[in-house]
Amino acid sequence: MEVFGDLAGGFATALHPINMAMLFVAVVLGLVIGVLPGLGGTSGVAILLPITVFIAHGSLPGSDTTTAIIFLAGIYWGALFGGVITSILFNIPGEPWAVVLLFDGFPLAKRLGKPGLALASSFVSSFLGALVSTILFTFFALPIALKALEFGPAELFAVFVLSFATLIGLGAEAPMKSLAMLALGLLLAAVGFDTITGEQRLNFGQVSLLSGISFVPVTIGLFGIGEILASAEEQGIGYVENISAKLGLTDVFQALRELRKRLRLVLSNAVIGFFFGVLPGHGATAASFLGYGLARQYSSNKENFGKGEISGIMGPQSAADSAGVASLVPMITLGIPGSPTSAVIMAGLFIWGLQPGPVLFIQHPDFVWGLIASIYLGHLLTFILCLLAVPLLAMIMRVPYAIITPFIVVISIIGSYSLNNSILDVFITVIFGLIGYWLRKMKYPLAPLVVALVLGDSTERELRKALIAGHGSPLYFFNSGLSTVLILAAVVLVLIPLVRTIRARRRGAAPPAAVAHP
Amino acid sequence: MRPYQVATAAVIVLIAAVAMFDSRAAFSPSAGTAPGDVGARWYPFWAAGIMGVASVVVAYRALTTPQGDEGAFEGSRSLFAVLKLAVPMLTYAVLIAGIKWRTTDFTYTVLPSFGFYLSTALYMGLFAWWLGRYKIWWVGAIAVIFPIVIFAIFEIGFRVSLPKSFLYDSGILPF
Repeated sequence: MEVFGDLAGGFATALHPINMAMLFVAVVLGLVIGVLPGLGGTSGVAILLPITVFIAHGSLPGSDTTTAIIFLAGIYWGALFGGVITSILFNIPGEPWAVVLLFDGFPLAKRLGKPGLALASSFVSSFLGALVSTILFTFFALPIALKALEFGPAELFAVFVLSFATLIGLGAEAPMKSLAMLALGLLLAAVGFDTITGEQRLNFGQVSLLSGISFVPVTIGLFGIGEILASAEEQGIGYVENISAKLGLTDVFQALRELRKRLRLVLSNAVIGFFFGVLPGHGATAASFLGYGLARQYSSNKENFGKGEISGIMGPQSAADSAGVASLVPMITLGIPGSPTSAVIMAGLFIWGLQPGPVLFIQHPDFVWGLIASIYLGHLLTFILCLLAVPLLAMIMRVPYAIITPFIVVISIIGSYSLNNSILDVFITVIFGLIGYWLRKMKYPLAPLVVALVLGDSTERELRKALIAGHGSPLYFFNSGLSTVLILAAVVLVLIPLVRTIRARRRGAAPPAAVAHP
Repeated sequence: MRPYQVATAAVIVLIAAVAMFDSRAAFSPSAGTAPGDVGARWYPFWAAGIMGVASVVVAYRALTTPQGDEGAFEGSRSLFAVLKLAVPMLTYAVLIAGIKWRTTDFTYTVLPSFGFYLSTALYMGLFAWWLGRYKIWWVGAIAVIFPIVIFAIFEIGFRVSLPKSFLYDSGILPF
């Protein structure tokens, strides 16, 4: 099969010394970012994105765009694993996808006195989930990309609409808030020159806004500074639980025995997590809650959930890591980010001069297959590092607040400035940090805003190309069977919250919340 | 929570209104450059329109459905915890850039630019002294070591030029 040859070529690229060195650095950085409660995977990737510009342009001997993507994705893999450590040991989720581990991970560590088993269970199931997802990625990516190459503007616009609809229809927050954030993202993306006519718009006479609002400072602000402010508030009112962080070989073997008993659950959650992660706009967090729900639903020990049940760790972890990997699939194959983190990675591709989407497979096969191979290697490396370095990683939590918090702000400022050498970007970061913090408090989801900001230009371009092709008639979108189906699916997805509300009103109860956002 | 929800939605509606006003040329007959094209203003106009309508619905629901009695912050302690971080952060950004007032003939310097390294030293030192309550030599060490390490990594390692201070311009400091 052709795919094995491509994958072998990918491994040859990924195993290049500079790529392996940067993967190692990235995974360590990702683990640290995952452990730090004030810094999430998305903000970590966004803050370090400007550094990848230098990596991609060969500042390091032998480095190129493949090194840059391996580095950026490696941070994400590290953060996927690292976030769980603080959930289990300190009852503080390092990442949003680790919140679900507070239910059973922390009780197993604290109440049942088995922190090593809790950590090992999380790591082995994460690794297996990611492995299953990467195998599916390997075999699904190329066919999807080849199919996507046949898409015209109508189909592409319909795909964008569908991805926006999933953010509204399947989001955790009020759909109208998701819609407002989505439209705000599209609006911000429209600032500056119109790419088709070259006309200025929404710049209010400011020359500095002619080139538009850069995605990176906004994301660093919304996620990096916003999270720091939110965590400052929690520091002001919370306290830290503390458990000894030791992980021995006995724990690993016991976790493997427990995994064997739950192999069906872990594998099925990994497959479900993959397909859930592929849905645009969703990612590890939503999948982790789904995975927990499924683990509990099909467990014969439902009463043990919430008291340290291992299925309550393995189920969500397998789904979360699988979805995290899968969120790169639509980004690489269609040019649509599957999660806010993959939106940042996609912005990286634009900055390095690459066009995310199906043409990547044709024009830069080394890049794509190098990335896919690095996912296997990255997860293996992360898994080994987690087993070896848990005590060290747990010590990061003991770095004083008075040092780590301003340091994260300083790094965020460097990240936002260094991309365009722009002081304006520094202020954009700080202002969007305050905005992001407030929106979070008011329960406005940030994922639609970020995804719309990165997709805004492409969505407008495809919409207008389709309208020009159809001489201004919106019926052009229904000339193709695929775009018709996608638009109808989008309409159905948008109607889901409405149906949910009507059904809940009939039952006389408040509408149930859907899954949580990444 | 109700007043905060309504006020937030109102601000979003205001932003939408400003954007729609700026994009009012969407309805000009000569908006597009090609047959069938809707022009540059059409897309932002409708994005702002959707944003405004969605926010009006959010405000309406906040007014008509039961809301929690709690305020936006859980007591003054959590508010101060946020302000303790937000105010120095804004000051830090202003120190990096400085404040200049430009007229057509002249530029007045209200606050000279402290650049990245001096501002970082002051910012990190302030946190170590104020929130960390470290001894003065620790505060000094943190204020000096962090900017030097950042200088070595970014200016020398990655060749990223970060903003320099007014003392750099006058040749007194290398940053």
